[in-house]
Amino acid sequence: MATVELSKISVIGLNDHKPQILKGLMDLGVVEINNQDGKLTDEEWSPLVEKDGDEVTVNSLDTKISEASNALDALNKYDKGKKPFIKVRKPMKESEFEAKLKNRDVIEETVADVNGIYKQITRLKNEENKINTAIIGLKPWVQYDLPLDMTGTRFTSIVIGTVPATAVVEDVERAVSEKSQGAVVYKVSSDEQQSYLSVVCLNEEKDEVLDVLRLNNFTPIAFNEVSGKANENIVKFEKELEEIKKNILNLEEQLSQMAVNRADVEMLHDDYIIDRDKAKILSNIVKTKTAFYFDGWLPKAKEDDVKKVLEENGCFYDFKTPEKGEEAPVFLKQNAIVEPFEAITNLYSVPSVNDIDPTPFLAPFYFIFFGMMLSDTGYGIILAVGCFILLNRFRLEGMLKKLVKLFMFCGISTAFWGVMFGGYFGDFIPVAAKTLFNKDIVVNAVWFNPIQEPMTLLVFSLILGAIHLFVGMGLKAYILIKDGRPVDALCDIFLWYVLLIGLVLFGIGESVGLASVGKYMSIVGAVGILLTAGREKKSIIGKLLGGLGSLYGITGYLSDVLSYSRLLALGLATGVISQVINTLGSMAGGGIGGAIVMLIAFVIGHTFNLAINVLGTFVHSSRLQYVEFFGKFFEGGGVAFNPFNKKTKYVEIIKEEK
Amino acid sequence: MEFNGQVFALMGAAMAALAGIGSAIGIGIAGQAASGVVSEDPNKFGQVLVLQALPGTQGIYGLLIAFIILLKVGLLGGGLVDISVSQGAYILAASLPIGLVGIFSAVAQGKAAAAAIMLVGKKPSELAKGMIFTAMVETYAVLALLISFLMINSIVL
Repeated sequence: MATVELSKISVIGLNDHKPQILKGLMDLGVVEINNQDGKLTDEEWSPLVEKDGDEVTVNSLDTKISEASNALDALNKYDKGKKPFIKVRKPMKESEFEAKLKNRDVIEETVADVNGIYKQITRLKNEENKINTAIIGLKPWVQYDLPLDMTGTRFTSIVIGTVPATAVVEDVERAVSEKSQGAVVYKVSSDEQQSYLSVVCLNEEKDEVLDVLRLNNFTPIAFNEVSGKANENIVKFEKELEEIKKNILNLEEQLSQMAVNRADVEMLHDDYIIDRDKAKILSNIVKTKTAFYFDGWLPKAKEDDVKKVLEENGCFYDFKTPEKGEEAPVFLKQNAIVEPFEAITNLYSVPSVNDIDPTPFLAPFYFIFFGMMLSDTGYGIILAVGCFILLNRFRLEGMLKKLVKLFMFCGISTAFWGVMFGGYFGDFIPVAAKTLFNKDIVVNAVWFNPIQEPMTLLVFSLILGAIHLFVGMGLKAYILIKDGRPVDALCDIFLWYVLLIGLVLFGIGESVGLASVGKYMSIVGAVGILLTAGREKKSIIGKLLGGLGSLYGITGYLSDVLSYSRLLALGLATGVISQVINTLGSMAGGGIGGAIVMLIAFVIGHTFNLAINVLGTFVHSSRLQYVEFFGKFFEGGGVAFNPFNKKTKYVEIIKEEK
Repeated sequence: MEFNGQVFALMGAAMAALAGIGSAIGIGIAGQAASGVVSEDPNKFGQVLVLQALPGTQGIYGLLIAFIILLKVGLLGGGLVDISVSQGAYILAASLPIGLVGIFSAVAQGKAAAAAIMLVGKKPSELAKGMIFTAMVETYAVLALLISFLMINSIVL
């Protein structure tokens, strides 16, 4: 089994030793410290203990962490150096880490500087936007050669404003001159939305003229913040813009020069995180005046290491094996080959304490299914080699590492099935040979070509599916027997085996003379299920109905098995789309031009096909595990083991032997 | 040119390719949701793009069947084969499952994908579950593809 056995640990120690103990445990990184809120409401405990905790430190460190990460974002943005394709943690010895953080004052100052500069840049950019908006507002008035803030002379009033572009300016003019002989409507400019007008009239006619204008949808504009002519202002603003731009460039340059300090800031950030987590874990501890208590989980194999830390600090401690059914975290560990497939399990759910770890069982099926659905030698090699390079170039960790490794394995499987079904970038080899060299090359499938013999592959897919489902049912039987319910295993699983195998034999066993065996197996199985499935019901009718209901579940098995037909369908999709791409590439005929067209079609087409089909294949092979396979036995909903350790983001601190 | 089976056969190819309508609508629906999520958090672009792409497969299945029909009637490479009216009608019938199921399932899948994108917007760690919910719809397009393919494959010209 691939779950690591955990033991429960309880510790009582003196408050004076608490910092050393927590540091020691964090360095080990194998103990999960439980939340003790239950104890605080417990009648026996609550009079004695109170909750430990240091909210103030946690909050102040959280602020520092966010400042540091803001500074890192700013540095990243203006760093002109080459950025890595995938961000990974940098390994660093503990002593080196500590030595580099000796001058943390300087680094803290850098963080403050960077944030200050970045704030200035943001402020300047806001100002830039504001000025740009103002310029856009002034642009239509460039040809207006009066100061914009001029509202009139001694006897006349000047009003400027807009009418919608749909309004005819001549009509406005006419309407105005009907009211007032002396008024002048002058069209300054117009664009798609509006016409820009300036209206001059006698002071005493102003109200009347304005009324007419309003009837014609005129909106007055007042320029409060500018004085003088539009083009003078624009020139002034543009000068200011230039100045701002220069300042921004200058500041950005400063930031990009500060990017060399990024590694230091990253270390500081991680150091804050370590301190924060140490302060945060205190809230999972209860204390009295002089002593503290916590409990938690650790892998049984690590008991001795933890013992050493606790004894050094004079603690009282106790290790216990968890009771059956007790809520405990789950710690999965696989051998190197199965490990990547843990990603598939974890994407669904961590197994609960009552589950068995499905990873080793789903791994071979996932491997086969993925390969069959993609089934192209070329794609498989690209996938496997690409992932291999990623694994070697970058120190990947955690989920990402598992997924990349998973795709590497699946690439190998894909290449294998590609050979079996004769797909090498679809039918690229014969098509290219025919088009470019006028030669007939036949690439034979080692097993058969699914496009020509789809029925064979369909049957094969369904058989694989039946095996997959039977394994899932077997696991359920195993869980039932382990729980001490062999009768349930017999009635709910074994009888179904008899019925399903019997039905298959009855259907197709004629040629080998097993049809009658199948018939009797089916009858035994069906009658057995009919009689036993309702055994928990009280009344006879309830028992019978339960049996009938359960027997009706046979449609579920049918749809489960048919679901595996997607192995064929997705395999066909990859193969036929490759064919489409190759056919497109061959349309330009032979010669150099033809070769170029073929090359372009090859690169673009197959990249697209690979991407879309890897996605589809990943989703559908996962689905077969989650819906069909897990549905037979797996519950999920567990909590992953989460030890108290250094959860750093940028630097992986490597412990040194003393 | 007289009215013969080839007309039906080409109508079949066209019918199959119509599955792309569904994919276009589905991806469009998912894309609207995707833009909404990315407007809140641009870092989720990659995740939501994966979900947006899922309703695209129906269009590909349609293309696949259309291509096989074109190959079968000899429109791609070699000349058009002589096809009787009933043979052509067979091909048209065979194209119906993927053509129709493709359109409707892709729209439905697009809605499921949009919901999954919202899920990722709130809980980025649940991408896989969103993908599975979305892919549940696709099962029926896969089945339709299979039926169309098996039908065309067994028509003798």
